[in-house]
Amino acid sequence: MTAFIIKRLGFAVVTLFAVLSLVFFIVRILPGDPAMVILGDQASAASIAALRQKLGLDQPLLVQYLNFLVGAIRGDWGVSMVSGRPVIGEVLSVLPSTIELTLVSLFLGVILGVPAGVWAAVNRNRIPDVVTRIVSLLGLSAPAFVSGIVLLLIFAIALQWFPVISSGQDTSFSGRLRDLALPAVNLALIMAAYVTRVTRSAMLEVLGQDYVRTARAKGVPAGVVIWRHAMRNCLIPVITVIGLYLGILIGNSVLTEIVFNRPGLGKLIVGALTQRDYTMLQGMIVIYTLIVVLVNLITDLAYGLVDPRVQYR
Amino acid sequence: MTLKPAILSSLVLGTLLSATALNAQTLRVAVPGSDMGTLDPYRASATLDINVVNWLFNGLVRIKPGQISPEMIEPDLAESWTTSSDGKTWTFKLRDGVQCQGGYGALTADDVVYSLKRAANKDTSSFYAEYAAFDTITASDPKTVTITLKETVPSMLGLLVPYHGGNIVCQKAVEALGAEFARKPIGTGPFEFVEYRPQQYVKLKANEAYFRGAPKIKEILFRYIQSDSSRDLAFQSGEIDLINGRFEDSWVKRMAQIPNTKVDILGPLEIHNIHLNMTQKPLDDLRVRQAIAHAIDRDAIVKFRGTSISKAAESVIPGGYLGFAPIPLLKYDPAAAKKLLAEAGYPNGITIKSIQTTLPAMLTTMQVVQSQLRAVGVNLEFTLVDHPTFHSQIRQDLSQLVYYGAARFPVADTFLTQFFDSTSIVGKPSAVTNFSHCDVADDEIKSARTAGDIEKQKALWVDAQKKIADKVCAIPLYEMGQPWAWTQKLVFDYPVKGSLNLSPPIDETTQLRN
Repeated sequence: MTAFIIKRLGFAVVTLFAVLSLVFFIVRILPGDPAMVILGDQASAASIAALRQKLGLDQPLLVQYLNFLVGAIRGDWGVSMVSGRPVIGEVLSVLPSTIELTLVSLFLGVILGVPAGVWAAVNRNRIPDVVTRIVSLLGLSAPAFVSGIVLLLIFAIALQWFPVISSGQDTSFSGRLRDLALPAVNLALIMAAYVTRVTRSAMLEVLGQDYVRTARAKGVPAGVVIWRHAMRNCLIPVITVIGLYLGILIGNSVLTEIVFNRPGLGKLIVGALTQRDYTMLQGMIVIYTLIVVLVNLITDLAYGLVDPRVQYR
Repeated sequence: MTLKPAILSSLVLGTLLSATALNAQTLRVAVPGSDMGTLDPYRASATLDINVVNWLFNGLVRIKPGQISPEMIEPDLAESWTTSSDGKTWTFKLRDGVQCQGGYGALTADDVVYSLKRAANKDTSSFYAEYAAFDTITASDPKTVTITLKETVPSMLGLLVPYHGGNIVCQKAVEALGAEFARKPIGTGPFEFVEYRPQQYVKLKANEAYFRGAPKIKEILFRYIQSDSSRDLAFQSGEIDLINGRFEDSWVKRMAQIPNTKVDILGPLEIHNIHLNMTQKPLDDLRVRQAIAHAIDRDAIVKFRGTSISKAAESVIPGGYLGFAPIPLLKYDPAAAKKLLAEAGYPNGITIKSIQTTLPAMLTTMQVVQSQLRAVGVNLEFTLVDHPTFHSQIRQDLSQLVYYGAARFPVADTFLTQFFDSTSIVGKPSAVTNFSHCDVADDEIKSARTAGDIEKQKALWVDAQKKIADKVCAIPLYEMGQPWAWTQKLVFDYPVKGSLNLSPPIDETTQLRN
């Protein structure tokens, strides 16, 4: 198992290096200029050129790339070209918000999605199944910015239970919970939709297995058959989907952060892109890559937890 | 199934958690955008940054609060000033009792000298070029600042209002804070910086020691809310008192329906022009440019953008700027357009290649123009790019036709120089935004700068506008201001026509009534 983790982390380093190099060159090939963003649209060409020189953007790409690599290896990710603040500091200042949002919605999505999927499977082709399928289809199809606005209209404007701006100054536990509620529900609905669908189909498959029929035949109570015997065996696809869709969750968290005005990685990367903030983009991409790599690793390890037959080599 | 528990949990949370009471004297502001860039006044050029800078700093002089015309200049940090007869030596007498915020001590003439030198230095200022005519800046005693100029400038006092390089900082604070100054600005203005939370807000508090008196509003919470819908909803739900709006007719009308809300369009106006590259075929032919001007129906475009936020342009520079005058522009006349094209040797029409931004408001306007041009046989081709790319490529002279909207310091010289003086032609090292390669009014623009006498200056600026319009360097479309809405609890002590820093002037007199 340790060897497995080390091997996977080794791959991760290679992946990171490749992604970094690719990003480094892609952002620089894009037209657009951070110097212009900094100086504004009244700046003369000469002052833009002077700032480009100060930022080191006038050097040959290869030199810039080597400087960047050396810095990165030494843990120096540079400073944001636009704000002048350290990239790592900027990312770390908002990373907890994104992690908090993602984990809470993941949790909500699973505790909503798994029972709903089981319920649908057990009642196959009956009303609960149809209803679940329609609702989860809605969850899959409604973009996060649409469902977000709908939630705001219902809970913040009509009912006035929650504030529209989910980034309060109230840092108490209840304050944070209130800020988190609507964005987390918004993301959780999407996650729940995926989880519901995959749980339903996995459960349907398992319920058709011989051992389930045997258990039922010998009079095991229905609840025990489903939750103890069948559930465990349909967890593998569910975990796969959770791992895979965590990426989608992070993507949707960009939109959710924007709609609910929460701080987070999503807003940071969108800002960096429109400002052509090369150093910031590089730092962000590394973080995203790391997250995806780690999630994949955790997903693989989770297989072993639910299924002792899984071997790590 | 998935919704029911969600609603339940919301219900529980909603009843458990009570709303936190905010200070009744907290003014909550929301602007579009994701985050603050810099609050260093000599670097801040983005609207949402200068919006905040507006409430933190003073200048030697200022434009009367709520006004934007440089003809309304009054004392700010300087209580009086004198000018030498040649207009090249200016002496300012500072007022007593001005304290730097944050306990950095009394403001002295040395601070003013330090500030203006910083504003004129290309390593510390984005606006250094505006101060190129400054020769020496000296403090002869703690209350006196003398500025000598290499040559007279079109609006000397205009350079010293709290806008861009005219903001005065405190030397000790800048030196103590170093790079941090951009995030923790220290000024002398009615409000002082308290806190910045990335992607969320900047918090300011009343400067109780403000030399004009302690502000009635005790706190400003300046929020960055990127999503248009959420920002509007936050205003609607009463979580925001003052909101920077969208450049949309529908926004103005919708906000006006919210009870107890005032919606206003503030200056300075920006003008939206179409610049034609006069050095490239077929646009090098005056008749072709005239044809295009005749083909464009300005009133239809205004109607399209909405009459609540826009009006037809009357010159090549925005209305209300010092030196602006309505001038005769070519009228909408498709028949004349076709005739001119035929005379120029293009009876079958022409094709013009252009780069357009995907920003919806700009793109849709150009689609209207595109269809108007098609009616007379001008085929306007679009290459669509994202907004940063657009800005970069039009400055590389890659578009035959450039659609550009801009507001500038409201003196004709700034706008004319940046858009129509040959030194600003794109591609040159001194380039700014002269996309048309216009050089027909260089003499007038240059003479006006050093004319000294204001009436003479104004006459030269009017001549320049006429010449530029005659040669169709640019086709003016429409003007629009800054849309803002605020709760009627927010009461200004004076009429608010606008502000150079594009945010309503909140000062010691502004109130938030309960």
